Amino acid sequence: MFIGQDITRVDALDKVLGTAAFAHDLKKNNMLFACVVRSSRPHAVIKRIDVSAARALEGVVTILSHEDIPGENLFGAIKKDQPFLAAGRVRYKGEAILVVVATTEEAARRAADLVSIEYEDLGNISDPFISIQSPVLIHDGGNLLSHRKVVKGDVAKGFESSDVIVENAYSTTWIDHAYMETEAGLAYLDDRGRVVVASSTQNIHYKMKEISRLLAIPPEEVRVVQATTGGGFGGKLDVTVEGYLALAVWHTKRPVFMRYTREESLLAQTKRHPLYIVYKTGARKDGSLTAVEVNIVGDTGPYNSYGETVCLRAAVHATGPYEVPNVLVNSRMFYTNNPVSGAMRGFGVPQLALAHESQLDEIAGLIGMDPLDIRMKNALKRGSLTATSQALNHSAGLLETLKAVEPFWRERRKEGPGSGFGLGCMYYGIGNTGISNPSSCYLTLTPEGRVEMHSGVCDIGQGSDTVLLQILCDALGMEEMGIDLVRGDTDTSYDAGSTSASRQTYISGMAVCNAAQKLKKYLKEHGHYDGKPLKEIYRDAGDKGVPIFEGHFDPPTTAPDPETSQGAPYATYAFATHMTQVDVDEVTGVCKVIKVHAAHDVGRAINVSSVRGQIYGGVAMGIGLALMEEFIPGKSGSFDNYYLPTSMDMPEVEAMIVEDREPTGPFGAKGVGEPALIPQAAAIVNAIKDATGVRMRQLPCDIERLKLALEKDKENKG
Amino acid sequence: MLPKFVSVIARAKDEALSWLSSLENPKIIAGGTDLMVKMRAGKHYSHVIDVAGVPELLGVTEKDGKLFIGPATTHARLSSEGSIVRNARSLALACGLVGSPQIRNMGTIGGNLANASPAADSIPPLLVHDAVVTLESRDASRKVPLEEAIVAPYVTSIDGKELIGSIEISPLRGYREGYRRVAKRATWAISRLGVAFAIREENGMFLDAKLAIGSCTPMPFRPRKVEDLLKGAPKNEATISDAIRMTLEEIKLISGIRPSYAYKLPVLKGILEEVLRG
Repeated sequence: MFIGQDITRVDALDKVLGTAAFAHDLKKNNMLFACVVRSSRPHAVIKRIDVSAARALEGVVTILSHEDIPGENLFGAIKKDQPFLAAGRVRYKGEAILVVVATTEEAARRAADLVSIEYEDLGNISDPFISIQSPVLIHDGGNLLSHRKVVKGDVAKGFESSDVIVENAYSTTWIDHAYMETEAGLAYLDDRGRVVVASSTQNIHYKMKEISRLLAIPPEEVRVVQATTGGGFGGKLDVTVEGYLALAVWHTKRPVFMRYTREESLLAQTKRHPLYIVYKTGARKDGSLTAVEVNIVGDTGPYNSYGETVCLRAAVHATGPYEVPNVLVNSRMFYTNNPVSGAMRGFGVPQLALAHESQLDEIAGLIGMDPLDIRMKNALKRGSLTATSQALNHSAGLLETLKAVEPFWRERRKEGPGSGFGLGCMYYGIGNTGISNPSSCYLTLTPEGRVEMHSGVCDIGQGSDTVLLQILCDALGMEEMGIDLVRGDTDTSYDAGSTSASRQTYISGMAVCNAAQKLKKYLKEHGHYDGKPLKEIYRDAGDKGVPIFEGHFDPPTTAPDPETSQGAPYATYAFATHMTQVDVDEVTGVCKVIKVHAAHDVGRAINVSSVRGQIYGGVAMGIGLALMEEFIPGKSGSFDNYYLPTSMDMPEVEAMIVEDREPTGPFGAKGVGEPALIPQAAAIVNAIKDATGVRMRQLPCDIERLKLALEKDKENKG
Repeated sequence: MLPKFVSVIARAKDEALSWLSSLENPKIIAGGTDLMVKMRAGKHYSHVIDVAGVPELLGVTEKDGKLFIGPATTHARLSSEGSIVRNARSLALACGLVGSPQIRNMGTIGGNLANASPAADSIPPLLVHDAVVTLESRDASRKVPLEEAIVAPYVTSIDGKELIGSIEISPLRGYREGYRRVAKRATWAISRLGVAFAIREENGMFLDAKLAIGSCTPMPFRPRKVEDLLKGAPKNEATISDAIRMTLEEIKLISGIRPSYAYKLPVLKGILEEVLRG
């Protein structure tokens, strides 16, 4: 048995010893260094580019522009709307314009500084509400990227039958992923002249296709390898360094390395979407929810990236994990000239959790109900219908997570003025929303008598390599982990899809199970379970060889109805409840998170330590989202003024694992990566209300916003 | 990228002073926690003279009832140095809050002072202790009160050929002393507000009160009029609220109204209430 055990991570030793080769560590003889020249304007036409001084600098090999791109100069996971290199026009500050390639990194950066660019400014659309009405268009099709609706029942009737109605506005801002390793990679031509790119990434097969389009060569002529990756959180789903590296190697025929500085990563890479949410909730006196109406306006910046994904996912998760008979959600995403917003842990759901959890507490306050009781009353459970009228027929352990924190909630005692407690709940659909998102893998035997697993899953530090091995061992009934893992390389693996949407344990885990079934049948037929060693099975296969055993899984979903989003967008959902204790210093506005109880229904914990690790990390990120992280375009230049929580800001976290097994998942497992973060900010904000009487509806609720709100509250009461 | 520069390591103060006077475009470095950041951002010095290991510039000595702090003493050392903890508690506390453990292990009090940031944590406590800095060059030496040594944000009256020889402070015994600061997170953060205080009181009277406020005005400052008001005044709510009102007025007189004051002034009021009430 490997599942449910604390198996040491397969990557642990290399990382502890410092031998793991992260993208920043990659090198090759004779390699060149690339660096990007970026726009200093948010929205402008490029009138003239002068590279003469840069080209004259010693060590500069070439300077590439969009004109040097042999294929298509557009990329995007959802919609191809973002240029690799700006073609005559820039749409955000930090947009890539040129790639400088030189013999040293220093020369490349120095040359980049010497490039002079003349701009003619266009109107800067700095806000989605300006974007709505602006005659200035960021793209020819208009400034509205996406509009998704969720319609269930009749909200007007629902509000009519309500005893209490609460309506409020909430807003959130840009958050940086702030992975420990900034974007980096190395590209070279292999013996056959193919383009090889090794980088810090969350998805190798997607990037292979983008590079093939960029260079107008078949995908087989491109190989993408995942270097050991120091974090992703959604920020390494988009093409980052890979396109520039591929272009540079294509032109120079020499190995090329590049890495972003932290400042460059902050400036140029995607952020969490700021969402503006107007939320109306109706309920009866007994606490049961009658109707929810939500208007969401989002800022995706000038390109789609994952804007459409966030628009839809925020909409279908807008009610939170509760039974609501009448729902109307309008979710709209606008283009602006702000930083590109993209995928970031939760795809819009943490922002919505702030709103639905605050609303629920306000309703509870009005009808005099305990916040835990109102959640228990409305909780989705087996047999419930979600906001998209999907019947939850399988794992749905929200009530169990509420029950897990219940004893601590009932016995909570304030420790003095400023002390407070809050609850936050969430549900989260595992995998992509209402579209096919398959994973594949294959297995074979080696001459040494070991099973070889070929996996295209990118382990970005969360531990998927170990989890997939554990699943395989148990699926094959192995007593020892006699498996060689061949991973993260488009040459030796099938497409497993991106490491995102908390999908790899569930979806790729099922693909592994599927392949394991086939291998197991073969091994059974060849006497392995009667005692014949694998080595002999391999030998006896002779010239015919041991076949490869492919595994596939694509979670069953239905496409959301275009008008109402009704349907079953996900095959399964994760659930969680966080209870957070805070201590607010009303003199300074400093909110300290003291203790968190975090109960997560993960279906089945394949690797208990990894699940706990995800929960601890999620809580840390939730603290950042709630209390301090705020990227301000034009101002946040480095970690000097972009504040992330440190270990000193971390509370004690009690991670509680609930296992309501998911029959369609590998050994009952679902996912936990994003769920770990989602309810934390909401729980903090509810705890601040409990501590101070002040309801914070704008994140981050940093020391200044909180203090000003406390002062205003005093004035109003005074 | 760091620009190219020549680095020399001084073994004695005289050696540092002689290099300082003879080398072209020189700069003293001790911990480098400010200087390296500035140089990476483009500030150029041809010669960097490392004084981190100069014995005369290290440690704390007591003489004639005064404490002499070597400018190359790190924040980490000062935060736990017995004589500082006993005689200048606010300074020990402030040094223990600077940056992060790494910065406290490298950064020095002389550097903090020479950088003259409005948010420097060590400066308000030094002001409370009437710090006087000795500025030395190869041919001369002069003593300047800290309040006069800092002339504008990030600007001091220290000449390019001078280094800080020592920082002299007056011990305070029988005072209730401390340092309160506010920052956006628990550690590794620049102070949004810092208040150093040393208060002596007896039988419901303020006998003496020394206050210094940092991160609020262009330079950390002592509200002298408020200190005068408090001296000999009865310790009651009327005195405290007068003192706070005067402090806030003095700040507005120095800086006018700044957007950040919507936050800072109410916080300062709350901190001063706590500090004065004790």
